[in-house]
This record gives sequence, structure tokens and C-alpha cells, in this order.
Amino acid sequence: MCLQMLEPRVTPTLPRAVARGRARDRKEALRALTLGAARRRGSAGKSEPTVPRRPGLSAVMEEVEAEEPQEFSHRQPLRTLVSPQRLKAAVHYTVGCLCQEVTLDKQVNFSKQTIAAISEVTFRQCENFAKDLEMFARHAKRSTVTTEDVKLLARRNNSLLKYITEKNEEIAQLNLKRKAKKKRKPEDESRSSRESMAEELDGAEELQSES
Amino acid sequence: MEENSGFRKELVSRLLHLHFRDCKTKGLGHQWGGEYVGHREGGCPMTPPPSPFPPVSGDALQLMAEFLRIFVLEAAVRGVWQAQAEDLDVVEVDQLEKVLPQLLLDF
Repeated sequence: MCLQMLEPRVTPTLPRAVARGRARDRKEALRALTLGAARRRGSAGKSEPTVPRRPGLSAVMEEVEAEEPQEFSHRQPLRTLVSPQRLKAAVHYTVGCLCQEVTLDKQVNFSKQTIAAISEVTFRQCENFAKDLEMFARHAKRSTVTTEDVKLLARRNNSLLKYITEKNEEIAQLNLKRKAKKKRKPEDESRSSRESMAEELDGAEELQSES
Repeated sequence: MEENSGFRKELVSRLLHLHFRDCKTKGLGHQWGGEYVGHREGGCPMTPPPSPFPPVSGDALQLMAEFLRIFVLEAAVRGVWQAQAEDLDVVEVDQLEKVLPQLLLDF
């Protein structure tokens, strides 16, 4: 995964806008990046295993990889370099989308500073959440953070706890359904192949009996 | 599945692991077995990149994404309530500041 494969970045103003913290510039730069990212992805032909093809994070990640050359050597495995600023930008984009939905719902606008403030608060609270989750898992003598830890995180407010518990059950049921589908699929395939073979045999027998 | 946009699992995973690493560098590494030490923000690494540690299960990631989405929506909607109580059309930082203490206590 060499940097030389990537085209030079389209909008050099993103990092400065992010550093300045001007929400509008950041948003517009991110939107401009989505077009650039789509073009670059097509030409570079990189294959990234689990990065989803949605504008916010992948655009930010493309920008990360395009602007690293000045600082690091070209052989750097860039997928591991995720600095806080890029994550903040991605959070800001998601917060902007959610606030837009609230605006449509409640007919009240949000100022740019408000959106920036909410994303800053979310980012900082994530640190507390992450530390709590790690402590909970360690306290339970587990090496994996599970849904029980997340439910414990939501304990402070009763309705929040109720909502999270319901969501957890929904997710668990979805997973069960998906597993059931997967198990049924190979059985169905073998069954359908057997049925088709049986039909062919029946058809052959009928032909033979007719003739 | 959802008509609302939310946090993507990749983003949530990176956000959490950003702060897992901080805990380890502050000397709690030995409790996890001390496999992974230090930040990797610069320099040429000699070892292959370590897998994210501790791992977060897929269900927990989805639940965290939902949790963060609720956090943002609560902040936004409480700001709207405050603005409506003050007969304003736009939610400014002032309204957000007034709802922030209760929001942080609830989460």
C-alpha cells in the first residue's frame, strides 16, 4: 500500500479548516472530499477490508493518507495512523447529519457553533465511555468488551437503560434470525437440488411409461 | 434498517480504541498482559500493526453506536426545548450550555 499510488489531494484546505475549527469550512471541505475520494478510490484501486463506502469517514481517511507524505516515510502502513483530528472531523460530520434530521423534525435551526459544540462534547465523552468500558470488562475478568458492559454504561438514566436494553434484545434477535437463515440456506440448496433431480427422474419415468 | 443516520461501526471502533490505548500507556498495561505498549502516531514501526486490544464484540459496537446516536439526539433535542422555552428560532451555544449539566449527569 504505497502512497505513490494516490493522486495528489484535491482540497488542500481541509487540515487548516479543521485546525481552525470553523464548522462550516469543515463541512464543505468534507463534502468536496467525497467527490475527490470517489474519483481517487476508482483510480488508485486500493482494497480496504472493512471501511464502509460512506462519505464521512472514508473521505476523511482518504484525506489522512493523502496528506501524510510530508511527515512520514512512504513505506508507512497508513491504516494504523488515525489521529484525533480526523476522528473529530468524522464525528462532526455524523453530528451534522443527526442535527439536520432534528431540524427537519422540529423546525428549529442549529447554529454552526452548536453543532461544533455537540461534536466536541461527544468526542470528549467518548474518552470516558471507553475507559469505563475497559474497566467494566477488566472487572468482570473478561478480555472482550460485551453488551453487558454497554448496558452498565447506560445505568444513570432509567429510560435510557430501558431503551438500550430493548435495542440489545432487538440486535440479539436479528443475529439469531441471520444465523437461522445461514443454517437454512445450505439445507435448502441441497434439498432443492435433490428435488430437481427427483423431478427429472419422475419426468423420465413418465416418458418411458408413455412410450 | 434505520431511516435515521447514525454512527458507523468503524468510526465507533476507532473512537473507543483511541482511548483504550491511552489507558495502557498510563501504566495499566500490565493488567492486560502488557502486549501492546505506546502510541503509534509516528516513526517507522518494526513490528506489524497489532490487532486492536481489548477487542469489542460486534453487538457491543452496534449498541455503542446506538448509545452515541442517542447522546447526540438528546443533546440536540434538549437544546431545541430550551430554545423553544426562550422563544427562539435558532439553537445557540447558550441554550446548549444550559442543558449540558443535566445531559452529562444522565449519561
